[in-house]
Amino acid sequence: MVNVIDYIPGRTLLHRLNPVTKLALAASIIIATFLANTFALLIALLALTFCLGIYVHAAGRLASLLKLLVPLAIIMFVLQTVFVHEGPVLWGFITVGGMTAAAKMALRLLGIALPLVLMLMVTKITDLANACVEVLHVPYKYAFTFTTALRFVPVFSQEMNAITEAQTARGVEYDTSNPIKKLQLMLPLCIPLLISSVGKTDATALAAEQRGFYLRTRASSYKRYPFHAIDVAAFVLCVVLIVGGILL
Amino acid sequence: MQDIIDIDHVSFAYAEAPERSLNDITLGIAPGEFLGIIGPSGAGKSTLCSALSGAIPHHYAGEFFGAVRVDGQDTCDVSLTDIARTVGSVLQDIDAQMVASVVEDEMLFGLENFGVPHDEIPGRVSWALETVGIADLVDREIATLSGGQKQKVAIAAILALQPRVLVLDEPTAALDPESSRAVFETLRRINQSEGITVVVVEQKVALLSEYCERVAVMHEGRVELVGTPAQVFSHTEELRRIGVDSPRTVRVSNSLAAAGLCPATPCLTVNEAARLIEGLVTARGADREVSESAGSTSAATTPSTASAASAAAAPAESGRCAPATSPRNAAGQDPIVTFDDVTFSYPGGGASVNNLTFSLYPGETLALIGQNGAGKTTATKLLNGLLKPSSGHVTVAGLDTRTARTSQIARHVATLFQDPDHQICKDTVLDEIAFGLELAGVSPAEARGRARVAAERFGLPLDEPPFSLSRGQRQMVALASVIVVEPEVIVLDEPTSGLDYRECMTVMETVSQMAQQGTAVLMVCHDMEVVSDFADRAMVMANGRIQGSGATLDVFTDPDLMRAACIAPPQVIELTERLARTVSPALHGVSEVADVARMVKELVQHG
Repeated sequence: MVNVIDYIPGRTLLHRLNPVTKLALAASIIIATFLANTFALLIALLALTFCLGIYVHAAGRLASLLKLLVPLAIIMFVLQTVFVHEGPVLWGFITVGGMTAAAKMALRLLGIALPLVLMLMVTKITDLANACVEVLHVPYKYAFTFTTALRFVPVFSQEMNAITEAQTARGVEYDTSNPIKKLQLMLPLCIPLLISSVGKTDATALAAEQRGFYLRTRASSYKRYPFHAIDVAAFVLCVVLIVGGILL
Repeated sequence: MQDIIDIDHVSFAYAEAPERSLNDITLGIAPGEFLGIIGPSGAGKSTLCSALSGAIPHHYAGEFFGAVRVDGQDTCDVSLTDIARTVGSVLQDIDAQMVASVVEDEMLFGLENFGVPHDEIPGRVSWALETVGIADLVDREIATLSGGQKQKVAIAAILALQPRVLVLDEPTAALDPESSRAVFETLRRINQSEGITVVVVEQKVALLSEYCERVAVMHEGRVELVGTPAQVFSHTEELRRIGVDSPRTVRVSNSLAAAGLCPATPCLTVNEAARLIEGLVTARGADREVSESAGSTSAATTPSTASAASAAAAPAESGRCAPATSPRNAAGQDPIVTFDDVTFSYPGGGASVNNLTFSLYPGETLALIGQNGAGKTTATKLLNGLLKPSSGHVTVAGLDTRTARTSQIARHVATLFQDPDHQICKDTVLDEIAFGLELAGVSPAEARGRARVAAERFGLPLDEPPFSLSRGQRQMVALASVIVVEPEVIVLDEPTSGLDYRECMTVMETVSQMAQQGTAVLMVCHDMEVVSDFADRAMVMANGRIQGSGATLDVFTDPDLMRAACIAPPQVIELTERLARTVSPALHGVSEVADVARMVKELVQHG
């Protein structure tokens, strides 16, 4: 199973940016998306995200993520149209203002989710954590918590898979078509999952401590994360994006 | 020389545990030593590892008595991190030990933390990777590695810190025989060339006896025996009482010693045992010739006629010793499981299988053997309906798995998984065992009645929560819930990994009783001794294909098949195959210790 946020190896400009710069870039796209008030800019920002995605060969991954996000965006769209009433009535309770607001909301949802995921795809998690510790002075404790949480996602999903398989093989009807019944059947699985995750977390804490976790300082990282000219250029782009978001 | 680790009257009880896990242990570990620790589950092996690495008393709470001194310093007086500078430990759960997602970052973590000068770091990383033999993996994502590779990464990451002692807790529990041996080879190299002291907990006696200088046997929190493998394994009776297996070659030499044929020094390897028996047979043969020519009577037994006689006896002997092939399908029964040209591949890659065709008959035990990743587990999942074939058909008890729901198939097939914790979900042992029956539509009252009988058979406490039991007992709960549904087919995926010898025998004997009552058994197993003892037929898999199958003995004595599967045959078969070439062809195909001993005795006494 391929995780959406798994690292895609590469040597593109985006890969070579300082992890902190990448974070800033993703954040500026998100902020601009929040601030943007015209369809043109919202679509332009989404297009920018996709162009970057194609550039780092992550288009396929982004498309599969869209499959998950688009239904969510559609639900948002429908709810907004139902609840927001502004301007002339189109049909029944649907208003022009409601439609516009809803469409922008749906685009924003996509525009916020995608840049962050794209940024994680082109950055090794450990690099991100180390750079945040070195450049942003984030305490290593928090950086480690973050990387470990991300690392445990596939581990736990494998564990969950194994548990579901074991229960299915015993004859629990997970293959039922009734979703409520399925949910009822899934709940007891939390117990074995919880027990194994507590055990794993404790073991990880011990293993980290035995490898000198508490000795680690800001200067410990072997890899250094200096800023280069392209980082400066990227920061200029960030400012442009945010200003654009405010103005347009 | 002063001991690098000195365990001085150490006792330990985990907080809230009623009994002590370690009970007055005194043991010295010399620098440069290779020490193996073995014992039944619950004996305190992992606890002892924790005490060596300082996790006790620093990480686990409890009552601690006595003292552990690492390099002269009491572990209570120095911090866990400082102990870690001397003692590197590799945990049982490798996934939990990893801190990074790429091998290189995993290697860097400890080096960075301990403040190794940055210009030394690249050298240390490549040295550690090369010593362990995985220099090519440096850029790989850890999630994409096999179990054996992960284990080596974990060892390399600790090795890079250049500890003076390496403590490993069951490093080979999830590995196939070849990878297990590779891990021990690595440990030997580290031990011999770098002089690093190695302490390893291990259940595989054949590896322990071959690689360790000293073996400590633990039982109920105590060290019962400690000494060289030869010393320890000469106490076969005591080991059996404790619940620890002996290498099969030791059992052979002990049986011969019991018959008064040789001195009581155990043979630890096939090589030693073969030399012993070859020596015995030729020596006695020579003796007898001398005495016979001196007596100058019975001309009937010249050496040539003797060997001819034994050769003539051979078919009868091996016919009797070899397990009958598929004994219970002779009556022309229909197979309960058929695989008809089955192919399956995972969408994301992984252990795919191609063109599997085989049948499983009621009452038959079929073992699937091969390396990790050969597709064995995939085959079992195709059987119990967790996976549906992408082409071909799997038929189980008349149901086509592609159309039948997995829960329907579960009425006929019960699976015992490697990790019992994946299937336990109820609050009491009784509910847990009854659960499968209730799912199959048995009334709750009857289900509980049957569950009670099954639980009592294994001496399980009925009202305890399953997760409060030991690992071995949880596996017994899982086993009880498999047999209670009286399935037509039992699927075993690594039924014995993580179990001690006694628990392993309980599982396998229970399963073989089920087989005698007509249940078909498919097992995936890395322990070739277990396969040799319990399977009627074996099927070798490699790269997702069936390489060959046949009566277990025929498979093990087929060197090409064994090579294709990267598997070493069980010790006894390796021994008798060699003796069949050098001593007497009558020994060909003998797989039981008792039979070997009896035949060697006959050979020695009667020629």
